[in-house]
Amino acid sequence: MSSLVGFLSLVFAIGINFYLFLSRYIFKFQKQKFNFFIRFSSLLTLLSFFSLMYAYVISDFSNYNVFQNSHSNKPLIYKISGTWGNHEGSMLLWLSILSIFSFFFSFTKNIEDNFQKLTLIIQAFLHILFGLFIVFTSNPFLVNSILVNEGLGLNPILQDPGLAVHPPILYAGYVGYSIVFSIAIAGLFQNTDDEWLYVAKKWSLISWTFLTGGIALGSYWAYYELGWGGWWFWDPVENISLMPWIAGLALVHSLMMVRGEQAIKKWIVFLSILCFSLSVFGTFLVRSGILTSVHSFAADASRGIFILLIFFIVTGFGFLVFLLKEPKKSNTLNLLFINKVSALVINNILMIIATLTILLGTIYPIIIEVLYNKRISVGGPYFNATVIPIMIPGFLLMSIAPILSWQTNKMNNSKKYVIAFIILSVLVLIQSYFLDFNTWGFVGLLLGFWIILASIIAIFSSYKIKINIKFFKIINPHVAHIGVGIAIVGITCSSVFQNELDFNLSEGDKFNINGKTVLFEKIETTNQINFQSLRGKFLFDIEKNQSKEIEAGKNYYPVSKMITSEAGILHQWNKDIYFILGDQKNNVWFVKVLINPFVSFIWLGVIIMIYSGLIAVTRR
Amino acid sequence: MNRIIILTPLIILLIICFFSLTYLLSGKDPNKPPSALLNKNVPSFESTSLYDTKEIIRTIDIKNRKILINFFASWCSPCKIEHPLFFEIGKKYPELYLLGFNHKDPTSDAKKYLEDDGNPYDFVGVDADGLIALEFGVFGLPETYLINEEGKIIFKFMGPITKDVLKNEIEPLL
Repeated sequence: MSSLVGFLSLVFAIGINFYLFLSRYIFKFQKQKFNFFIRFSSLLTLLSFFSLMYAYVISDFSNYNVFQNSHSNKPLIYKISGTWGNHEGSMLLWLSILSIFSFFFSFTKNIEDNFQKLTLIIQAFLHILFGLFIVFTSNPFLVNSILVNEGLGLNPILQDPGLAVHPPILYAGYVGYSIVFSIAIAGLFQNTDDEWLYVAKKWSLISWTFLTGGIALGSYWAYYELGWGGWWFWDPVENISLMPWIAGLALVHSLMMVRGEQAIKKWIVFLSILCFSLSVFGTFLVRSGILTSVHSFAADASRGIFILLIFFIVTGFGFLVFLLKEPKKSNTLNLLFINKVSALVINNILMIIATLTILLGTIYPIIIEVLYNKRISVGGPYFNATVIPIMIPGFLLMSIAPILSWQTNKMNNSKKYVIAFIILSVLVLIQSYFLDFNTWGFVGLLLGFWIILASIIAIFSSYKIKINIKFFKIINPHVAHIGVGIAIVGITCSSVFQNELDFNLSEGDKFNINGKTVLFEKIETTNQINFQSLRGKFLFDIEKNQSKEIEAGKNYYPVSKMITSEAGILHQWNKDIYFILGDQKNNVWFVKVLINPFVSFIWLGVIIMIYSGLIAVTRR
Repeated sequence: MNRIIILTPLIILLIICFFSLTYLLSGKDPNKPPSALLNKNVPSFESTSLYDTKEIIRTIDIKNRKILINFFASWCSPCKIEHPLFFEIGKKYPELYLLGFNHKDPTSDAKKYLEDDGNPYDFVGVDADGLIALEFGVFGLPETYLINEEGKIIFKFMGPITKDVLKNEIEPLL
């Protein structure tokens, strides 16, 4: 029943969007009526999504999708997240988020009516494309042809609270760029005033903030769930999310420097199209299963071709309009040797080069396989060797960019900065000398601390310190950069200075980590609702009264016959001690311990970035 | 000059779409990376017959001939789809040993299923607790393995096999 409701409302929603799309040419109607239809179709799409969710919650195995991906033993939260834990459901989620964005955009004020209408018509067009994709190739409402009373389970690795919310947030980021795309295209069609740039800025900030949160959640999940000790693996699916993130960052920064400069407007339109294109391309790569990755999803060639077609239409349409209706030229950029504009332009160029480098590395295996019929994989070494050096000059510029002037080459208080930089360099050099010297470590730490320090100096020397909302809005760009600096310190320390220790232990053994005694207490197996767990219990720092307990082990999921590894992590502010329980032989267990310094700084940095994203949205 | 710069994204788009499309149409399946078990020895197993609990099959009993191992269950709907194909294989390759593993099924249900749809297997082993499937690394039902005369796994397929898979992937190995 719920499947029927879901399917019908989905089809009905696509129908309304088709009607709206045609309204540009045939049936013209009033703004109120138009907005009503947009909102109505959004609600229908949501109804469709919630019908599917309902089928998951009540374990309605007459729905083939539920049968394939759920199990009545699963806890409720994972039944709900199971809705988007599979291909069909996740595409419906994609469409629902598109609808939500259209819904809210229809309430935007201070924007010209025709312009808003045109934007929403482009949204309707996107809704039709993805809606048809769902109906024809990925229908989540198919009826199960046989009667069953139990489902086939859900990929147990996805049974995790972090991952339950990761896809919706990530999708909100991806799909949010659809609005930015539509606004940009509408802007090309209608050469109105520049009011649309401010609207675009708001939406691109919202999308970017969601994308940041989504990527961070996925990364955090990989860190504690995959049990490999790292948080970023340059996996194709990670790269796919990183590309629109960097392009989106360039977009947000370009939107900051709009001052009626046409060249920049052109660039903004280009970036807006690029961001959404990369999002759709990412969807294509993941959903066609064309790339192998830790994110194993079901593959189906017909789906792949359909979504490739959508990608082609959307991107081709976007760039074609860009080619034919390019914004007229008027004034040129106010580029000086070193002012805000030139710093931002250089940073934009670097970000695009980084994006293209990642794109090349990501699709390179496809090209090679087509040409030479060989399967290769491009991994960490390529990306580390190419992307990081491209970003470094950008980070350097970023530390001083907020204090540069718009109009002149002058830099306020430049002396202060030079002195601070020299002192900092010496300090980091001394620190590196006493620890093992590592070039990357030195560069990373210097950059990270420099960004933090320069931003703090800028805050204190440029503004009067007040504690009110307005002040926090003014210093927001600096705060964002402090977040980046903190994250860079965390990234550098946890990757360059990671320490790995291997032990072979029996129950009751004691061993030493960084001078602290650790007791391998016991191995325990227990039965949980939907899995069996095996845990090695460790007591950290037993000489102290408050020794900390760490559990590392594995879960075995009988329904899907999968074993997942569960790392045991002791979080401290300056390091994570990461326990991985390996195999055993004659009751001797292999235990790997990783010491990851300053990992918490990465998450802290990301939280600060998300905070400033949110603040920036509220700022005009 | 300016025109060319603006054209670049379209050119890149065409190149990407061209390669992606060629890749998709070439029938390559990136989702089936070579299994970790491929070209490895078949895991050792021991299973009783569905029809006679005294009849036991072990890995060593079936050396020196090609074996097709299929994991199935009465509750698995895709299994029903591929089921008729095993009759075809059996008829065409009488020397091939068809071994079915009934996966986590009540005996009565399994028997009824093979009564209704027919039994194409030379031997139906019981894998009531799913331990054999675990050894083989079975992810979901149905799953099919081809073992050569030396006892090495030379082919693995997840999901229901189709006529195309049979013709293009399994038959060349027989």
